[in-house]
Amino acid sequence: MFDFLNVYLPIAQLEFNAAILVAIGFAVGVLGGFFGVGGAWIVTPALNIFGFPMAFAIGTDLAHIFGKSIVATAKHRKMGNVDMKLGLISIAGSVVGVEGGAQVVMWLTTLGLAGPVVRYSYMVLLFGLGFYMLYDYFTKDKRAAAQAAKSASAAASGAAPRKAWNLPPMMHFPASGITISFWTVTGVFFFTGFLSGFLGVGGGFIRMPALIYIIGCPTAIAVGTDLFSVLFSGAYGCWTYGVKGVVDITAAFYMLIGAAIGAQIGVTAVKYVRGYGIRLLFAIMIILAGISVLLKQFEVPVFDKIVVMAGALGMCAIIIVKLIQGFKKEKAEKAAGFPGLH
Amino acid sequence: MKRIWVVIFNFCLLIFPSLVWGAAGEKVPDFAARKVSLEGLGGLNYFFAHWYNDSKMVFAIIVTLIMGLVGVAIAAVTDVILKAVGMEVTKMEHHE
Repeated sequence: MFDFLNVYLPIAQLEFNAAILVAIGFAVGVLGGFFGVGGAWIVTPALNIFGFPMAFAIGTDLAHIFGKSIVATAKHRKMGNVDMKLGLISIAGSVVGVEGGAQVVMWLTTLGLAGPVVRYSYMVLLFGLGFYMLYDYFTKDKRAAAQAAKSASAAASGAAPRKAWNLPPMMHFPASGITISFWTVTGVFFFTGFLSGFLGVGGGFIRMPALIYIIGCPTAIAVGTDLFSVLFSGAYGCWTYGVKGVVDITAAFYMLIGAAIGAQIGVTAVKYVRGYGIRLLFAIMIILAGISVLLKQFEVPVFDKIVVMAGALGMCAIIIVKLIQGFKKEKAEKAAGFPGLH
Repeated sequence: MKRIWVVIFNFCLLIFPSLVWGAAGEKVPDFAARKVSLEGLGGLNYFFAHWYNDSKMVFAIIVTLIMGLVGVAIAAVTDVILKAVGMEVTKMEHHE
């Protein structure tokens, strides 16, 4: 019935529905722009469900992620959410870490343990991160009150606030408003890169929480800065998979159209959702990803992909609703003469 | 000027993990020697397929450049459209 929407993919050498490519790109664009991740873990099962040749899925996805992250990063930069200095250091630190992680996997492969160890580590990471972020969200008020009491007590006693770790050289990141030890920054990004190389993933969903919880970035800046890093890894991935001959540029183009539109929506929605709201939605998203990996591990056919797709579409709907609500509220406040506070 | 060299240097650093990137993930087939049929193709499809067959390196450069340029173009156009409908974004305050 919708055959008129089919386009010929010259590299994959088959016809595929362009609307499906645009729709997948749109969903990943919304999520990527909002959470600061590439979204490859959604694209691959989505393409698989609709019969896209898997040989070209990863390369084509990375090609579109490169283009999409340009759109999203440019917009986040306008909003003041990109700490380029931090982003460039994250790339440098991650590079070494990826190599380390991959070497460990190669060693595990020689022992015949790589498959299960990587899969279970992935699940532990996804569920661990997800449930920690849920705990963080639901206890934020209690911890804020305890912190306020502690600060008041310290101020009253005249004691200087105790720094947790200030091994020089200290680095200042004006965009994020943080001053932190060089060793902490490079150590964190080495570790996130190590996990990326070990698990064979892009790492956006690891870097974003690391930027928030360990580096101390405000959530929106963590999102924008992470996308800046994804831009570079996407560009490199696009090129290297192109050399391998596994990028279908026509499919990537259609996905990019959808992703660019979706990214505009996702990035703009960040303006209307508080940092903890973003963290809550991110936690739900990666728990669903963990469930999908669990279903795949126990070989429950198709359901692993359905969980990811349903989760992605549901999250897109929530983000779009938040955008519309926030936009309407902002418009009403402007009309009434009050500046919006989100 | 210094910033652009830092950016280029960091971009070059990404080349080093090329030997092992994704070693733990799904295996990607290497179609370096693969060729596609040019029969019935025209326009852009022929252009991409021709370079795909002729030189994967040039094909990869073309793909990367096009994805980058299309991303920039779409960013610019959607900015104009969103500004016209009153959804332009400016620097935001960060509230956790």
